[in-house]
Order: sequence, then structure tokens, then C-alpha cells
Amino acid sequence: MFGHDMSWASFHVLEVMSCPKYPQKRVGYLAAVQSFRPDTEVLMLATNLLKKDISSPLPPTMSLPLITLPHIITSSLALSLLSDLLPRLSHSNPNIRKKTIAALYRLALVYPDTLRAAWPKIKDILMDEGEDSSVTAAVVNVVCELGWRRPRDFLALAPRLFDLLVDSGNNWMAIKIIKLFATLTPLEPRLIKKLLPPLTNLIRTTPAMSLLYECINGVIQGGILEGTEGAREGDEIASLCVGKLRGMIVVEGDPNLKYVALLAFNRIVSSHPNLVSMHQDVIMGCIDDLDISIRLQALDLVAGMVNSDNLVTVVERLMKQLRNAPLTTRTADDGRSNVLGVEPVADSDGEDPEETLRPTVEHKDHSPALPTEYRLTIIRQILDMCSKDTYANIVDFEWYIDTLIQLVKLVPATSQSSSESYGSGGRNLSQEADVGSAIGWELRNVAVRVSTVRSEAVRAANSLLAMVRSDDSSFSSGGQGVLTFAAWVVGEYSESSALSYAAMESLVHPRAHTLPALVICAYLQAVPKVLVSAVSDELLCWDSERKTMVSLLVARIIHCLDPLTTHPNLEVQERSVEFLELMRVTSQAVMGHGVENHDGPLLLTRAIPQLFSGFELNPVAPAAQRKVPLPDNLDLDTPINTHLAGLLQRADQDFSLDTEAVEFELFYNQRPTQRAINGPAFDKLPTFEPELETSSYQQTETSLSDADVILRKRNERRERYKDDPFYIGNDDVSSGTSTPFHDILRSTNGEDVDVDSIPIMNLDLGDHGVGIDGSSIDARKQKRKRLKKVHIAKDENIDNESLVINRSHPMAMALHQRAQERAKRSLLQVDSSGLSRFSLDSSENTIGQLDIEKQEAQDNEMAKALAEVERLRLEMQRASERIQATDGAPAEGTMVKKKKKKTTKKLKDATAEPMAQDENKSHLESRQGPEDVAGIPVLGRKKKKMRPATSNPDDEKGVQAD
Amino acid sequence: MINAVLVFNNSGQPRLTKFYTQLDTSVQQRLISEIFALVSHRPASACNFLPLPPLLASTTPPPTPNQPHNDTPSLITYRHYATLYFILISTSTESPLALLDLIQVFVESLDRLFENVCELDLIFNFETLHAALGEMIVGGVVVETSLEKVVSGVKGQGKVAKRRETPGIGVGVEGLGAIGRGWR
Repeated sequence: MFGHDMSWASFHVLEVMSCPKYPQKRVGYLAAVQSFRPDTEVLMLATNLLKKDISSPLPPTMSLPLITLPHIITSSLALSLLSDLLPRLSHSNPNIRKKTIAALYRLALVYPDTLRAAWPKIKDILMDEGEDSSVTAAVVNVVCELGWRRPRDFLALAPRLFDLLVDSGNNWMAIKIIKLFATLTPLEPRLIKKLLPPLTNLIRTTPAMSLLYECINGVIQGGILEGTEGAREGDEIASLCVGKLRGMIVVEGDPNLKYVALLAFNRIVSSHPNLVSMHQDVIMGCIDDLDISIRLQALDLVAGMVNSDNLVTVVERLMKQLRNAPLTTRTADDGRSNVLGVEPVADSDGEDPEETLRPTVEHKDHSPALPTEYRLTIIRQILDMCSKDTYANIVDFEWYIDTLIQLVKLVPATSQSSSESYGSGGRNLSQEADVGSAIGWELRNVAVRVSTVRSEAVRAANSLLAMVRSDDSSFSSGGQGVLTFAAWVVGEYSESSALSYAAMESLVHPRAHTLPALVICAYLQAVPKVLVSAVSDELLCWDSERKTMVSLLVARIIHCLDPLTTHPNLEVQERSVEFLELMRVTSQAVMGHGVENHDGPLLLTRAIPQLFSGFELNPVAPAAQRKVPLPDNLDLDTPINTHLAGLLQRADQDFSLDTEAVEFELFYNQRPTQRAINGPAFDKLPTFEPELETSSYQQTETSLSDADVILRKRNERRERYKDDPFYIGNDDVSSGTSTPFHDILRSTNGEDVDVDSIPIMNLDLGDHGVGIDGSSIDARKQKRKRLKKVHIAKDENIDNESLVINRSHPMAMALHQRAQERAKRSLLQVDSSGLSRFSLDSSENTIGQLDIEKQEAQDNEMAKALAEVERLRLEMQRASERIQATDGAPAEGTMVKKKKKKTTKKLKDATAEPMAQDENKSHLESRQGPEDVAGIPVLGRKKKKMRPATSNPDDEKGVQAD
Repeated sequence: MINAVLVFNNSGQPRLTKFYTQLDTSVQQRLISEIFALVSHRPASACNFLPLPPLLASTTPPPTPNQPHNDTPSLITYRHYATLYFILISTSTESPLALLDLIQVFVESLDRLFENVCELDLIFNFETLHAALGEMIVGGVVVETSLEKVVSGVKGQGKVAKRRETPGIGVGVEGLGAIGRGWR
């Protein structure tokens, strides 16, 4: 009950449940509620007990299984109990009726066909004016739960619900009805007109805050605001709602009301941002609320309502909050001891718990320290707010860049320090898309999109790099993600040489070596670019002084790159090796270049700059790639090798079964290697055996026959090298061949590699696909005129509809759907997927009846068979116990007669022969039926009917016999 | 619907756990401790709605605009009375403010049943506690919100034991006979 495992006691629980005394029974049922699961095994034995208790004459006993059922219900249990539950809907006691309704709802969740049988009765109860009010409320609750799943089925109930809403006076029910109507109105626009007057009335008059709130909520969620847009009463109700919500925030001073009012505002904000921003003052007040929940809501709200007018104020306010709040102290107890005062432990002494349960009145007042998560949320929200709709709200980009820089300083420190992440490579940075790189992303985005502030952005990036170099204490480890982007911006856009020299200073600073590997990679990439821009004007007039300057600079770079070639991270190692070679070549070129002709060395003036220049980088819409039209001559349908099928067939015939698998592995694992080594590179393979090459994907059948030989050789070799520690096993082909492949690329391609590596950083901007195709396909560049003549480059795209297409794309849709289906079900969630596919339409009832009828027919048959067995037994009993005839015969005689009447005429023509058959049949059926294990308890029940006086012992026996 | 009702004291010891969808015991314990960690750090002036604990938040899909409600628990309402926290976990079909009222009714009905209820009452008379809850919520659906009916419903099930008179024996047998006649 308090979280201890008691599955071992299931059977004992069942025993207690079957106690005849109510108190014991109640305990038993309580234990069942707390510990049984739908998959508890003993549950199968309980079916009969439940059936019996549901039809108990005592209401308290009756309500026990009703309360218990929702916790243990399974579809098979539902099937067998349904027939017993249904009559309880018309029980004389309202308490039983309402509990039955709730239990039926849970039955319907696991066994939707319940509703087919139960719905007409539930509907009758709802329609019945004279029904007990709490029963009606229970029905409304259930209908509300069912309603959002299949709103269409409940439209017919609208008039009755409307009456209940207007007349009832039960707030709880009214809330539920309003909730239900909110899901109904989108389907039936006429409802809006009808609902408006009572809702308005309720909003104006009700003293109950919860009802008021739900009315407003219903107005919002039901789309009534949209439905009455423009009309006079529409404006009226909109302003009324918003006014009331404002009142809830300002006047009441109750944090709960504040919270829900903000919730409601949040729902309006997407459709009516102007309505909300009228109340900006109140909402901004909530941002500084003591309560984090309220703050978070307000933050969401603020993010929704920003426009170009209030963006700066809002962001400034949030920044101020970030700046002023004390750093979090993550001590768990300081908050608690303040709030609660003394902490009584109920088990140890009985004194403190004697204190009565009264709402705590003490108030605490100190500004709470901001938790780290909240800080991160604020920063993310600021970024989201500003970048919304491709910076539609930002007027002053210099301000934005300044804000970004300040935000970097405000990023809370992460737990792992820079030295720790040094060894583990860039993984911890990329794992959690940290907020630092989010800021960096923005910085880069601005630099790319807004060309007018590019120099400003470069300066900002430069200052960030400098901050790291000088070990500025305000730069915490959390913001390191920004450096990757800053380095890129500096490398890509630095133009003036003075700035470039400063940037170079930061990039080759020894401190850079302690940064995470991912950042170092970006640094390395930026170094040659910055070098180019730094020396560009030096080259105009080449003299000995310049020559010394440049050679010094290059020497410094070489000095910086050298240690990095042994960096533990492979990526860093590779890049540094490449650039080191390039720099050495450059240094030689500078040294060897004379000062006579006033021209710089060709390598510096032409070759290296060309590595980095090309198309201008423009942002590309995420969906643009897919829209690049297929070239006409591209034919994906014609098979490349027309003989493939025959080839495969022959291959099948040739290979015996056991070698087949090996052959396939050879086939598929070695193909990439074959492709990689074509031409002269082949000769340079140090460890590669030429024989292997014969089994290629492209080979014809003749060489395939050699496969056995190859395999044998391979095995021999493997055997030979098995104990050699210097030999890496040949069986993992992929790892064995990747190293030579790598070597080849490096040795043959040399410094050309860095051309390829440029897009690694810029991949998200996707200049490649459209940059090349764009010239022929008339790619549109949309630039927007802004105030102050700021150009914001839009995402490049092929036509105008960008993301919309993406969504409606069939494949994307399918993927999306699958992803949704795959999404893990939440804990505590009730699975009602069966119910949502279920319809209450009366037209379907005929089909739906089948299941119930089948079940009833089965029951009848079972009862018939059992009666038959019983009769046989009684006859035998009578024959054997003739002495007791005076006592037993009359009672049993009448009972048998009763049985006969009950099981209809079919029994009448039953003769001795079919009787024997029936007996067999009944055994069979008791095995087949849902209560297969409960075969004996079923007998027990029949016996009980015959002899009520001895029912209980029998029953217990029945349970135990199982 | 309501997914779970929890009552625990200031040190996080559960006094009542009722999950309307069954969970493993260990998961239940984790959930309780996560919620307790959340709730115990809140100042008294804070509002009575909790953010979702990590256990629940990780599996909750974002709400879609065309489907206003779903089956996932999205709302945690709590109230703090002296030494006890009362917590309701529910889906979006419930109204947050109404749930607060519901907790209030629950506590008031306990108060009425026990006459000045305290934590000890709930410990020793857990049956009455569960019975009161059973009168109000069945299978996650609220079936009764009126204080009088809840109290009379529980009393109808048998005598409610008073404090300091042999705690542990919740209901007398003669009470049972009385209801049998009274209800028919």
C-alpha cells in the first residue's frame, strides 16, 4: 500500500476478498486495488467472486467490486463481467449507479464493446430529469472523458447538456460540460451562438473562480473567439475574458489564479497576440514573480506576444533578471526548512501529527535563486523571441549582437570543466545542444544573413575569442559552444587586417589548446582563412619588412599547429597535420620569394585564397534540397546490370549451403574496398592481398568459382597470424581496410583535402546543392527591405512554399506518423486507443450487438449444460441417498423445476443418451470458455443457487480447489 | 481523468497512494520521490501546480492543436495541509482550480469523518481514508463532489473508528447490520 511489493500475497488477498464478513472483505478488496495488476495471475480465480459480489444484496458489498474493477480490469474480465454490471445501472441506490457508470467507463477503455451495451442505458440516465443529481454529474464526467475522443458521437446530447449547464447549479458538472462543449463547438458552429449568452452570463456572475476560469477557457478552446470574430458580441466577450483574466492576476493576488490566468493567456496568445499584449504590464510583472512555475508560464507568454515594439524592453528585462539573480545554491534543505518549520515524523512520536490539518499560512519572502535550468530556458527564449520569423521583430541588429555577447557571459557554468572535455573530444558538446552553441548559431546566422552588420558581428566574435585568450572570468565554461561559431565568423568574414591580426592572436594562443576538440577544429579551420585576410594588404607592396612580418606570422602558426598533430582527437589531428603541411609550404614560399618584383608569393596571393573563396554562402531552406528537380537524363529504373538475376541464381546453384554465408560476406564487405582502390592507388596498399580482389561485386561467374580457394587461403592466413600480436585479425574486413584507405587518401591527395573539408562546417547552410544548381534553375533570392535598410537574407528556396510542402509530402507525413506511433507511451497513461476507433452510432449497433449476443448465447449454453450436469448429479444423488428423501427431495425437486423453466424448452426433449453427451460437452466448454480455469467455481455458483444456506463454504472450496 | 492520488507527509513517507493506472511498485516509488522533491522545495506562497517530474515529462508528447486533450497526465495539483501533502495527477480534461476544490472537499470530508483529522488518523484508519476516496473517485472518474454525500457514503459503510480507541479496528460488525437495513 505504501510502495512495498506484495505480489507474493496475491493469493491471500484473494482469500480475504472472499470472506463473508464485510470488514474483512473490504480489506481484501482494498489490498486488491493496491496490489493487483491486470496481469496478476490469481485474478482469473477472482472472476466468480466478483460476479457474486456485484450481485450482492448489500449495497456496500456491491460497491466494493465496482471500486476495485477499474484497477484490475482486462478485456476478458470485462467480457465476462459485463452482463453482471449492466443491471446495476438501474439499481435503486444512486451510489451504486454512479459507481457503476464510472466502472463501465473503465471497462470501455479496455473493452470498447462495453459501450454498445451500456451506452443506451447511460444515455437514459443522462436524459432522465428525475435522476439523482450526483448520478447525472457522474454521467457528465464520463461523457466528458469520452467526449474528446469521439466528439461527433456526442453532438446529439448537446441540448440536454445545455439545459444542465444552465439549470444545474453544480459547479463541478458545469465545468465538465463546458469542457465538453469546447470540444464540440468546432464540429457544430451553431452551438457557439447558443452558448454565448449563458457563458457570458456565467463569466459575469459566478462567484466561483474555477467556474469562471473554465468558462473563459471554454471560450478560448472552443474557438468561440474565432467563431464570433468581428461581431459585436465577439469583441465583447473577448474583452470580457481578457479583462477577467487580468483581474485574476492583479486583484486576487492568489498565485494559483495567476498561474491559470497565464495559462489561459498562453492559449489566446497564438491567435490574438494583440489582445494579450494590451496587458503586457501585468504579464511582465509575473516574470519577476517569486514562483518559478508562474515565471515559466509568463516567459512562454512573453515569447508569444513580442513584436518589434516591445522586443527590446522585454529582452532587457529578462537580461536584468539574469544578471541580478543570485547564483543558485543547490542545497536541498534551505528551501524546505524555511517553509515547513519543524518536521514531525509521524512514526516516531505521536505528538506532531496531532496538529490538525489546516492550510499553512506562513509566508516566506526572499527572492529565489534562479535554478540553472531556468536560466537556460530564459536564454533560449530570448534567442527564440529574437530570431522569430527570420528576425522580423529586430530593428537594431547591433543591439542584438551586443545582447548575444552579454548572453554568453550569463550562460551558467556547466558541470564539466574545459580540461575534462579536452580528452573526451567534442562529444559532450554535441550531445546536449548546449545553449552556448545556440548563441553561437545566432551570431553566425546574423553574420550570414545581415550583411550590413557583418563587420559588427566579426568584431563581436573577435572579442569573444579574445575573452577566452585573456581568461576572462566572466566567460564561463558553459558558453564554450559559442567559440566554434565565433571562429567560423572570424575566419569567413574578417576583412580588415588589423582585426585579423587580433583574431590570429587569439586563434594561435596556447590557451586554445585546452579547449574542447570541437572548438579546436573550428579554430584550425579558421587559421588559414584569417592568415589570408591578414596578409592580403601586405602583399600589395612586397618588401623585405613585409616579408619578415609574414614569415614570422607563418612561423607562429606552425609553432601552434605542431603540438596539435599529436592531439588525442583524430579530427584535430587530421586538420592540424593538413594545415601544418600547407603552412610549411607557405613558409618556404615566403622565404624563397624575392623582394624584387613587389609581388607577393603566388601561393599566398592566389593559391590559398582560392581554397576558401567561391560562391557566397547563403542560407538555404531546409526543404529546398528535396525540390531540386531531377535531371531529365537521370534514369533510376533501368537496372545497371541486366543479368543480375541470372547471376544470382547461378551463384545460388554453385555454392553449397555452408559456404554460402561466407561468400555473401565476402561479396558485401569487400566491395567498398574494391571501389576505393582503382588505378594507381592499388599499388600502395601495404597489407592488401591481390587474391582477394578477384571476388568482386562486378565479377562474372568464372572468377566466383575461385571463392573456395580464397576462403581456404584466408583461413590459413588467419591461422598463421592468430598468435601474432602485431597482426590485426583479418576477419573484420572493415577495420582492416579502412586504415590503408585513409593512408591512400592522405598520401595521394595531399593538401587538396582541405578543399573538401570546408563544407564540413557550413553544411547546414547547404550552399552546395543550390549553389550549383541554382544558376540553372532560377533560384530566388529574397531579400527584405527593413527599417534602417537592413537586409535579412531569407532562406533560399526553389519556390515559395517552403516548409508547408515538407509537411504535406507523403513520405514526410508517413515518417511523422510513424514517429508519433513509436513515441513511447507515458507512464500513468490510460491506453484508450481502442476506444477512439469505436463508434457509438446506432447504425453500427446491430453489428456490435453480435459480441454481446454471442456472449449471452454462450452463457446460456453453458448454463444449460451445467443444469444438465446438475440434474444428472441430483438424480444420481437421489438414487443413492433415498433415505434422505423426506428432507432433501422437496427442496431439490422445486429447484430442478426452476432450472428447467430457466433453461427453456430445449431441455425438455433431452433424453438419457444426449444427456451423457451433454455432460462431455459441458466439460469441453468449461475448458474453452473464458473462464476455463474457473470451471469448478462455476459449478460452485450453481450449487449455491440450489442451496443458499451452504453457499459460502462451497464457494470457498471452489476457490481453493483451483 | 485523474491518474493518481497521493498523500505523503513532510518527510515524503506515503500515507495514501492510489494509481488509477497500474505501475510497478518501483516506478511508483520513484514517481513519489520525484514529486516529493519538487513539492518540498516550493515556498508556501507559490502556486499549487507543479511542473511535471522528469519521469513523466520525458514521455509526454507536446499537445497538438487539433487534439485538445490526450491521455497523458499533464497536470499535477497539490495542496499542503500541516504535515501532509495531497497530490492529484490528472490529464488535461480536468480543471486545475476544480481539482484544488476537490482536494479541499476530500480533506474536509476526512475532517468530518475523524473530527479534527490528523496524520495519525490516516495512518491507523487507512480503510476509512480509502473509503472516502472511493466515494469521490472511481477509476479516475470523479463521481461525487458534495461533502455531505461523501461523508454519509463512508458512514454508510460502517462505523468510523475514533482516535485512541483501539486503533486498527476500523469498522464494527454491528455497523454493517445497520447499513444493511438502512439502505434497503
